[in-house]
Amino acid sequence: MNILLELGLYFSVLSLLSVGGMPSVIPEMHRYVVEARGWISHDDFIEMFALGQAAPGPNVLISSLIGWKIAGVPGALVTLAAMCGPAAVLSFWVAGVWDRLQGTPWRAVAQRAMAPMVVGLIMSGGFVLATPGGAPDWRLWLIAAGSAWAMVATKLNPLWMLAGGALGGALLL
Amino acid sequence: MEMLPAVVARDPHAVYSAQKMPVTPPRSLTELFLGFLSIGARSFGGVMPWAHRVIVEERRWMSPEEFTTIIGLCQFLPGPNVGNASIVLGKRWFGLKGSIVAFLGFFGLPFLWVLALASLYSEFALHPGVKSVVTGVAAAGAGLFIGTAIKLGKPIARKPWALVVLMACFIAVGIGRVSMLIVIPVAAVISYQLAKRGLL
Repeated sequence: MNILLELGLYFSVLSLLSVGGMPSVIPEMHRYVVEARGWISHDDFIEMFALGQAAPGPNVLISSLIGWKIAGVPGALVTLAAMCGPAAVLSFWVAGVWDRLQGTPWRAVAQRAMAPMVVGLIMSGGFVLATPGGAPDWRLWLIAAGSAWAMVATKLNPLWMLAGGALGGALLL
Repeated sequence: MEMLPAVVARDPHAVYSAQKMPVTPPRSLTELFLGFLSIGARSFGGVMPWAHRVIVEERRWMSPEEFTTIIGLCQFLPGPNVGNASIVLGKRWFGLKGSIVAFLGFFGLPFLWVLALASLYSEFALHPGVKSVVTGVAAAGAGLFIGTAIKLGKPIARKPWALVVLMACFIAVGIGRVSMLIVIPVAAVISYQLAKRGLL
């Protein structure tokens, strides 16, 4: 299959699965483009993730960087459109309905059902990114733990944690 | 800000909550576009605080309470939160045209910058020092995910069934590397049944 078409279709499905936003689908994206299809290496994925995190803008742009790495600028456009499109159509359609659901038991139940799934998926994303090939590296875990701690314990702008990671990487890796 | 009385200007948040400043929706598509452009362009280290600053504090398009409700919806929906917010708010004020304009305004600059940065990066990527730094940044980014999970997880940590669902998702997706196309539907059905019985 044409790679752009496959990227478009696959990321469209991810768009609808991205409960809680982009972080939830990072582990699946990694599984597909690195492990299942082998389009890019783990190192490529990690690099695009780091650039996407450090640049200003929404973190969904990580997907367009991965698309760029796989298929150039057309890949970047296709993955961004696919990652945002289906969710955007859904938002457009649901925008009016949501207010009417306010206070209905269904909405509260659905929100409570989603919370533990989202937390489990975001945790998976953190684990996969810090554990290349499933082999633990204490240096990466140390950096990740430090940044997680700073996020929970302080109100610092996350850019400081990324800067700390850059320093940690330069010293330890 | 400088037009506000000195008494209230000390605490920036008191101004908006205490004074009940009138809110005015954007008057034109251009204003909508520029507002979302400035959110996208400035959002270093996270979009949500900037969305709040521009929409609620600087341009006063809506009250903090309305903003919270909209964000609640957008976090519930799949997809990028503020990207969804651009669709929902654009529609509310200008219909489909508004959604498209807000969406393009929001993504335009960050998309160009991130590609420019990536092209620039590939010029230097072969230098070994650069690779260590980028790997360190990615590990710190992974840590931010863990930190987010801890923050979001705190309110549900006392419910044993919530921990079971959470750990099951983590083991399946993070360690077992099972496809989310399988995990999400299965987990959603189980989780919904648990929530309906008041266990989550």
